[in-house]
Amino acid sequence: MGQEWFSLDRLNVLIGVVVYTALLLYFIYQAKKGKELFVRKIAGLEAVDEAIGRATEMGKPILYIPGLSTISDVATLASLNILSKVAKKAAQYETRLIVPCTDPIVMPVCQEVVKAACLDGGRPDVYREEDIYYITYSQFGYVAAVDGIMVREKPATNFFLGMFWAESLILAETGASTGAIQIAGTDAISQLPFFITACDYTLIGEELYAASAYLSREPLSLGSLKGQDWTKLIIGGLVLTGVILSTFGLRFFANYFTTG
Amino acid sequence: MNLEKLMRIDRRLIFLLIALAVIFPLLFPIGLPTHLSKPVQDTFNAVDSIPPDGPPLMLSIDYDPAAMPELYPMTLAILRHCFSRNIRVLVLSLHRAGPGIGEMATTRIAKEYGKKEGEDYVYLGFKPGFGAVILRMGEDIHGAFLTDYYNRPIGEIPMMREIHNYDDIPLVICLSAAAIPELWMMYAGSRYHQTIAAGVTAVSAADYYPFLQTDQLVGLIGGLKGASEYEKLVNELEERLGVDKKRKESLSKEEYEKLQVSHSKASAGMDSQSIAHLVIIAFIVIGNVAYFAQRRRKR
Amino acid sequence: MNLSPDPWVWLAALLTLCIYSFLYKDNPFYKAAEHLFVGLSAGYFLVIYWYNAVYPDMVVPLFKQGKLLCIIPGLLGLFFFFRFIPKVGWVSRWSIAFYIGVGAGMSIPATMQMRILEQMKGTMQPFFSLETWHVFVENPSLASFGALIGIPLMIVGVMCTLSYFFFSREHKGVLGGMSRIGIIFLMIGFGASFGYTVMARISLLIGRVQFLMSDWLGVID
Repeated sequence: MGQEWFSLDRLNVLIGVVVYTALLLYFIYQAKKGKELFVRKIAGLEAVDEAIGRATEMGKPILYIPGLSTISDVATLASLNILSKVAKKAAQYETRLIVPCTDPIVMPVCQEVVKAACLDGGRPDVYREEDIYYITYSQFGYVAAVDGIMVREKPATNFFLGMFWAESLILAETGASTGAIQIAGTDAISQLPFFITACDYTLIGEELYAASAYLSREPLSLGSLKGQDWTKLIIGGLVLTGVILSTFGLRFFANYFTTG
Repeated sequence: MNLEKLMRIDRRLIFLLIALAVIFPLLFPIGLPTHLSKPVQDTFNAVDSIPPDGPPLMLSIDYDPAAMPELYPMTLAILRHCFSRNIRVLVLSLHRAGPGIGEMATTRIAKEYGKKEGEDYVYLGFKPGFGAVILRMGEDIHGAFLTDYYNRPIGEIPMMREIHNYDDIPLVICLSAAAIPELWMMYAGSRYHQTIAAGVTAVSAADYYPFLQTDQLVGLIGGLKGASEYEKLVNELEERLGVDKKRKESLSKEEYEKLQVSHSKASAGMDSQSIAHLVIIAFIVIGNVAYFAQRRRKR
Repeated sequence: MNLSPDPWVWLAALLTLCIYSFLYKDNPFYKAAEHLFVGLSAGYFLVIYWYNAVYPDMVVPLFKQGKLLCIIPGLLGLFFFFRFIPKVGWVSRWSIAFYIGVGAGMSIPATMQMRILEQMKGTMQPFFSLETWHVFVENPSLASFGALIGIPLMIVGVMCTLSYFFFSREHKGVLGGMSRIGIIFLMIGFGASFGYTVMARISLLIGRVQFLMSDWLGVID
C-alpha cells in the first residue's frame, strides 16, 4: 500500500479542527457548569411568540417548513431546535402545527421532536402525527404541494427555517399572498434576499444557529455559539495579521493556510 | 397619477407584461450583443487545453428538468466544444433526476458529431451519495461505478481502461442548480487537487464567485447569459476549425438551418431576457417612487 | 404555425399551461397537475434508486456475488422501516446516528479546508498595492479604479460582516459601527443575488415559452 497515515500537508486542517473543537468543548463545559453565557437579542425571535399567538387567535394552523436539506445539514439541525420550541408553544395553545417534509429521514426526526415538545408542554394529547408528513424528494414537486397547502389551509403563520434553494421565493411569495405572518431563516446566502423581501422577519445566516441557542438556552447550543464566536474572533485576527503582512510583501503567513 | 392605485396594481398585469416582454423578442428577434465574461472564457480555455484523444473531460450532470432552460444549453455547448476538438468525455450524474437529461444530451451531440460510445465518450449514469461517490472516484472510478448507464461492466469499455481516478481526469465540470459544485470542490478539489469548473443557474452564480478568486474553481458559467456566451465561443471555434463549413456542405439547407437554430438556443433567449429585465427595472423604480411618496404623504 | 404531431409534446404543453394557470388563481387544473407531478416524481425516484443503488450495490453483491459485508449497510437501511412498528421504532435511530456520524466526519475537515482555510488565504491580500495605484494613475478608468479599491473593499467587507455575526456582545460602540457597515455589505450582496435570481426566473420562463412556441405551436424555429 505505502500510503501515509498522517499527511503533514494537511496539518493546518488538523490544527483548525482541533482548535475549533477545543473551543466548542470548553464553552459547552462552561455552560453545563451553569456559567451565564450572554447572547445578544435576535430581532426575528421576538416575533415567534406573537406569530404563534396570532394563529391561535385566528383559529388557523401554523405551517413549519424545516428546509429542504438532509438531517446532516447544520441548518436543518438548528431548525429542529426551533421547531421544538414552536411545537411546545403551539401545543400549549392547542394550535395545529403542520410540518410537510421533503427528506424521508428528516420527517421521522420532526415527528420525534414535535412529539417530545408536546409532552414537554404538558399536552401529549394534542400531538397529531398525521400533520407531520412526507411529500416528495422532488424539489419543485414539494414546492407545488406546499403552495397548495398554503392556499387551501391558509395557515396564519409560516415558518421557513433551515436550508433552502431556488424554491425559497416561490414559498415565501405564495405565503405572503395568503396574508400569513412569515418568519424565515436560512444560511443559504443566495436565498436570503427573497426571504428578506417577502417575509416579516428573517434570520440571516448564522442568526439561525444563534436563534436555536437563544431559544433553547441549552448548554450544548449556547456553548457551541460561544465557541463559534471565539473562532470568528481568531479568524478575524488571523486575517488581519495576514493582510498587514501581505501589505508589506510578506506572504509566508498567508501561505500557511494553503492546504495539501 | 394616483400612487395608492399604483401600489395596489393587480399582480396579474405584471405577469402579463413580463409574458409579453418574453414572447415578442422571440417572435421578432432584436439581436442585442452578448458580451463575453472572464469566468466563461476561463472555462472555455480550460476545456480547450485538454489534448484531443487524450484523457477525458468529466462532465457531471447534476440538475433536474426544472433547471434545463439554463443548464441544458450549457451542457450541449460543452459537449459540442469537446467533440468538435476530439476531446473525450466521461459523463455521469450525481443528481437523481439527472441521468435522463445526461443521456439525452450526450447521445444527441455524439450522433451529430459521429462519436462512438465507449471510445469517444462514456456515459456512466447515476449513482446516489454525492460526496461519498466523489471521494470514491478519487480512489477508483471502477469501484464507484461497476457498470455504465447501459449496464456494461466498466472494465469492458475501451476508453475506461486508461481511466482509474482523478489523476487521469484533467478537468471536471459540474453543472448544477444546487450546491453540488461545492461538494466537488470539497472532496475532489481539496482532497485530490482536481481542477474544477462549474456551470450553475443564475440563482446560485453569486455564491460561487469567492471560489474563483481563490482558484478553487477555474471557471464559472452562470445562467442563460453564461450559456449564451459559451455557445458563442463554440460557434466561433467551429467556424475557425471548419466544422461549420463541413456541416454546411454535408447537410441540406433546411437541416443546416435547423441545426444552427438549435446551436444558438441560449443566445436566442437573450433578447427576451434583456427586455424582461428592463420591464422589471421599470417596475422596481415605479414601486419605490410610489412607496416613498406614500410614506412622505403619511408623515 | 406548425403544430406538433407528437402526443407527448401536447401533454407537456397542456401540463405547463395547467401549472401557469396558478398565476391567475388556484384551480382544479393546477391541482391535477400538481398531484400528478408529486406522484410521478415519487415513483420515478423509487425506480431510479432501485436500479442505480439498491439493485447493483446491494442485491447483486449480496445475493449474486455472496459479498456478506453488504449485510451491514443493508440492515442499517432496513432499520429505517422499523419506524412503522412503534414498539421497536427506536432501532431506526441507529441508522440516523450512523448517517449523521459519517456525514459529519466526511464534511468537517473538508469544510475547514475548502470554506475556511482557502478563503482566509484568499482574503489575506495586500490592503494597499503600489502596482494597482500606478496603473490607476497612468490609466484612470473604471476598471483600474475597481482594481484599486476592490481588495480594500473586500477586506473591510469581510471584517465588518464577521462582526455582525458576533453574538457574544451587544452591538454598541465600535462593534456596533462595524456591524452596521457589515449589514450594508450584506444587503448589497443580497441585492446582487436578487438580480441574478430575477435573471434565473426569466430564463425559466423563456425556456417554457420557447418550448410552447417552438416545439408545440411551431411559430418560431
